[in-house]
Order: sequence, then structure tokens, then C-alpha cells
Amino acid sequence: MSRSIAYTSSPLLASRTPLWRSKFIVAAIALGSVGLIARAAYIQVVANDFFLKQGQVRFGRTLAMPANRGRILDRNGLILASSIAAPSIWAIPEDVERDPARLRQLAKLLEMPMTELDKRLADEDKTFVWLKRQVDDSVAKQITALQLKGIYQRKEYKRQYPEGEASAHVVGFTNVEDKGQEGIELAFNKDLAGRAGSRRVIKNRLGQVVEAVGEQIEPVDGRDLQLSIDSKIQFFAYQKLRDAVLLHKAKAGSVVVLDVVSGEVLALANYPSYSPAKRRNLSGAQLRNRALTDTFEPGSTMKPFVIALALEKGLVKPTTPIQTAPGRISIGRSTISDSHPHGVLTVSEVIQKSSNVGTVKLAMQMQPREMWSMYNQVGFGQKPSVPFPGAVSGRLRAYKTWRPIEQATMSYGYGLSSSLFQLAHAYSVFGRDGELVPVTMLKSSGRAAGVQVIDARHARAVRNMLHMATGPGGTAPKAQTMGYSVGGKTGTAHKQEGRGYADKKYRGFFVGLAPIEQPRIVVAVMIDEPGDGKYFGGEVAAPVFSETVQQTLKMLGIQPDVSVIPQIVAQAEEESF
Amino acid sequence: MTRINLMLLLAVLASALYLVNVQYQSRQLFSALDQAHAQARRLEAESERLQVEQRAQATPSRVQSLARAKLQMRTATPAITHYVSYGNAAPAAALAPNDTGSGARVP
Repeated sequence: MSRSIAYTSSPLLASRTPLWRSKFIVAAIALGSVGLIARAAYIQVVANDFFLKQGQVRFGRTLAMPANRGRILDRNGLILASSIAAPSIWAIPEDVERDPARLRQLAKLLEMPMTELDKRLADEDKTFVWLKRQVDDSVAKQITALQLKGIYQRKEYKRQYPEGEASAHVVGFTNVEDKGQEGIELAFNKDLAGRAGSRRVIKNRLGQVVEAVGEQIEPVDGRDLQLSIDSKIQFFAYQKLRDAVLLHKAKAGSVVVLDVVSGEVLALANYPSYSPAKRRNLSGAQLRNRALTDTFEPGSTMKPFVIALALEKGLVKPTTPIQTAPGRISIGRSTISDSHPHGVLTVSEVIQKSSNVGTVKLAMQMQPREMWSMYNQVGFGQKPSVPFPGAVSGRLRAYKTWRPIEQATMSYGYGLSSSLFQLAHAYSVFGRDGELVPVTMLKSSGRAAGVQVIDARHARAVRNMLHMATGPGGTAPKAQTMGYSVGGKTGTAHKQEGRGYADKKYRGFFVGLAPIEQPRIVVAVMIDEPGDGKYFGGEVAAPVFSETVQQTLKMLGIQPDVSVIPQIVAQAEEESF
Repeated sequence: MTRINLMLLLAVLASALYLVNVQYQSRQLFSALDQAHAQARRLEAESERLQVEQRAQATPSRVQSLARAKLQMRTATPAITHYVSYGNAAPAAALAPNDTGSGARVP
């Protein structure tokens, strides 16, 4: 027997394969196996970490989980601002398919001229170029349908403001990164924004998520914010204000509606306003929330506070007569005069006729400190407690620096400044029987606890005087409104420009309460620089007050307290026999 | 002994294959779940969009202009409003006594 393997018994077919060959093959295979096992051990055991990491890099992805920005709602839960999906379109110029027909379609969808699109895609060195940020969802879907290579979409959110310009100043707006820039959007940005989360996943080659790895950080959605604003009242106030500003060819105007029971701001509007969706050519004049950021000398609207203080100190009663003839009074070297002489007036009539002389005579019997303390307590010279960007405190100088003439002018509202919002807030003292109500921009329920500033009796007495001012013989009969009793005070002030007063530039305003027996709202209206000759607060601002009160009380469901002659048309007549 | 080892080997192989299968299934289910989540988010976004759109169609300014222009409606004033009160509540003070010509009265 030779040393070979016999594959067959037939000697004819017997091969002559040497034994070492088969041994060699077996050894080679064994070696191969050992190699494989060693490699497997190396991958699975020795360098396991390295390979796991490489796998992660190739298939693992960290996905951001964006948080939704909270909505801004009005007091009835209607949407004032909400974020909706609005994809942004971007491109890698190098990869873009140069198909003229489809590119033209794309340009049309993006609402940009073909040349503009070409220009953006011309620079092939760039690896990223925005084509358009925040397009409508439907447009984005059409762009996807075009299936152009090199055109991509990024998921973004766009803020929508269905109420538009009527509530623009209150709500404000966000920038393209969804950060608050103005108004409530800015003031409550932290609450609204929420916190984005993230998670780690493994994706397969088709891009589908197949497994979650590690812990997932859940996104925290922004809080919904419910404001005290009533969108209907807000709209009507804005509409009436706009009409008045346009009618009187005025420069601007503001209106504030305050619920004196709960301290909530029901409406706060300014004109000119802007549409939050179209902010391209926005001017500072449009952007300014005048009711809170602009201060002016409140003029005659300050008189009720002086009278209230005089009653409080027991200097006078509402019926005490005061001699205001000859319509002039000298303080030091200056003379203060009424628009026309009135003769003997009762304290009530001083308010009704808005007599400067009568007010000054009372004010000069007081200490500057007492007057300052009264003004200060009702909020003048103090920043209102609403968390609004740019809200101002106005100016009320320390009483130690007051000269007698300044004390006199301050009694009828010159020499100090306030915003319309502060003025409205201060009048809540008369509406709440002497309590100053804390104001809020957020919805609250029930009666807010106020701070007693003056006696309830005196507050009611001043309220009656305010009612007289809107009655016959008062300064603002135009403030009357059908069905509801109102009361309020007009103000007309020269505008300050530079160091002195501007000639023939005025502000007319009106602050009032309704219904007068049991006030529910304070409405303050300011018309800036009326240009058609009429400028008295009773002429330009009181009608806006009247219409706003009418609509607001109706919407709050308050029954008229003044009898009206019904004009209800008979629906059915009695049968005649 | 050999037989037991062989059986154990088979069992190990079977369980290994089963594990592979389960892993595959779990990935498929996870993928489906993820897609469902994505769809939920899409639907949520869509619902938000529709809500905003609905609100935009029902703003006071639009309602007012439509009511005036299309339906010829007027703003109600207290003069043409009949106030009713429930039960023992005092009757509306606003109404003058001579409004007998008005429509149905609620006791």
C-alpha cells in the first residue's frame, strides 16, 4: 500500500493523491476557522466598544423633538395667537436638477421671479441656501410633489394671529425663530416657549426609525396663556377708535377698557396699528403701544382726585359754594384762568364745568405732601403692575420740590405726566367705592381685592359729579350712551414739544365709568392731535367712550339702568272682533 | 452524554434564531409605532392649522362686515332689546310701562 487515499476500489480509477495534500487542506481549513474565531473574538470582545461606536455613528441619530409654543387665548378661549407648521425651503445649489420647466414651477410656488431663483442657485460652491422661509403647508406639499433633486424642506413653525391688527399691540409678535419680540409674546416668552426634547434612535438604511437607544428627553410644550382681553370688545374698541381718529384727522389714538370688579383689562387698543402677518414696512408709530408707553399731562382728568381729597379732608361738601368769579386767580406772579367765567359754583359744579379756578382754590388749602400722597396712591408716577415691555411710570415729582404755582397747576393736571393706562387704572378708585383695584392682563375670576384709598361715601359723591359732567350743562354730554348711565371727565391738553407747549397741537381725552350706580367698567380714550379744528376731549374722545361703553356693557350682559323708549316693533296684533 | 449535548446545541440554535426573529419583529413594530407617532403629530399640526383658519374666518371684523353687507343686519340697541328675567328676579327696570305692543312677554 502506497501512502495515498483510495477513492475507489477499482485499480483503474485509483488516484495517486498523496496523503500530505489532504492533511494540508484540513490544516488550512482549521487555520481559517481559527482566524475567523479570533477575528470574531476581537470584534465581540476585545474591540467591542470601538465597533459599537462605529455602528452608532452610522445608524444612530439624535432627533430633536421641538416643543410647541403655547397659544395665546382671549378670555373666552378664542385664539389670538397660535403656531402652525410652515416648512422652510432650502437647496444645495450644486445638486439642484437643472430642469427649466420644473424650476419655473418652483419659482411660481415660491412667489419669486425666475431670475431671483437663478441668482440664488447660481453659486455652486455654497452647500446651503434658503429659498424661502416659512411657506404655507399646502405650498410645501406641492413643492414636494415636484420631486426636484437638491431641494429640501426644514420643519418650522409660523405664528398666526387671526385677530390681526385689532389686538396687535396687546399680543405682539414673534420673530422667524419663534421668539417673542413685542407685547405678551415677549413678556411671557418663557412660559410660552416650552423646552425642546431629544431622543436617540437607530435608523435603518431606508431612514425608518427601528429602535430607541438610551433615555428620551420629553419635550415640554409651552403653556397656553389666557388673557383678560375679550376679542369682541377689543375689536369694537379698536374699530370705534380708528373711525374717530380718521374722522378727526388725528395723528393717533388709544383706548383702554378696564373691568373694575376683577381688575382685568378687557381691551387695550391703539391706532395706528399694524397687521402682525405683514411686518415688512413697519414704522415706529405703528408699533408703539401708546396706551402704555406714551405719557402726557392728564389735564382736567386730575381734578376729581383733588376734589376727592378735599372731601376726604373735610374741607368741603359736594354742595359747598365756591366763588370762581372773575374766572381768574393769581398765584404768585402767574394767573390761572377758566375758559369762561362761571361765578359761584358748588363743588359738584366745579367738576361738572371743569373749572380750573375752583379746583385751584381747593388745592391751595392743602399741603403738597397730601396731594402728592393722593396722586401716588392711585398710581401716578408708578409703573403699572402689568408685565408689559416698555410700560412707563410717568412723572410725579417729589412734593418737597413743589412751588406754589406748581401745586396749583398740578391740581388741574399740568406739571405731571401719566399714561392713558395709568389714568384708567386710577379712575377705578371711583368705580370701586374708594378702592384701587390691582390690574391684570391675564384672566382671573371673581372680585379682586383692592386697596382702600378714599372713603366709600366720598367716592360715590365724586361719581355723582362725574355723572353730572356728562349730563346737560356738563363738559361732555356726548359721552352719554343709550340705556346706560355714565360718568366721566374730559381732558384737553396742549402738547409739549421740546421745552414748551406746541401751538395748536392738542390731545383730547376722556376717562369715565359706567353704569354710574354700580360701575362695572372704566373706559379711557385719548385722541392725539386732532386736525380738523375740533380738539376738546368732550368733542373727539367722548363719542368713542360712549360707543365703547354701549358695546362693552351689552357684551358683558349688563341690563340697562336708564329707561329707554322702546322701539320694538309689534310682532302680533290682537285680533279684532 | 453526547445526545444531551446535541439536544442542547439544537435548543441553543433554535433559541438564537428565535431571538433574531423577535428582534426583527420588535424593530418592525417600533418603526410602525414611530410612524404612527409622526402621523399623530402631523394630524395635530393640521388640526391646529384648521382651528386657526376657522378663527380667522370668524373674527369680529369679518362677521360684522358680512352681517352688514350680506345680511343687512343692524347693531342692536337697548331700545330694540326686550330684557327678560327669570323667576322672582325684579322685572327689567329698563322697560317703560307702555311697551305693550312688544312681542311675547316672558313671566
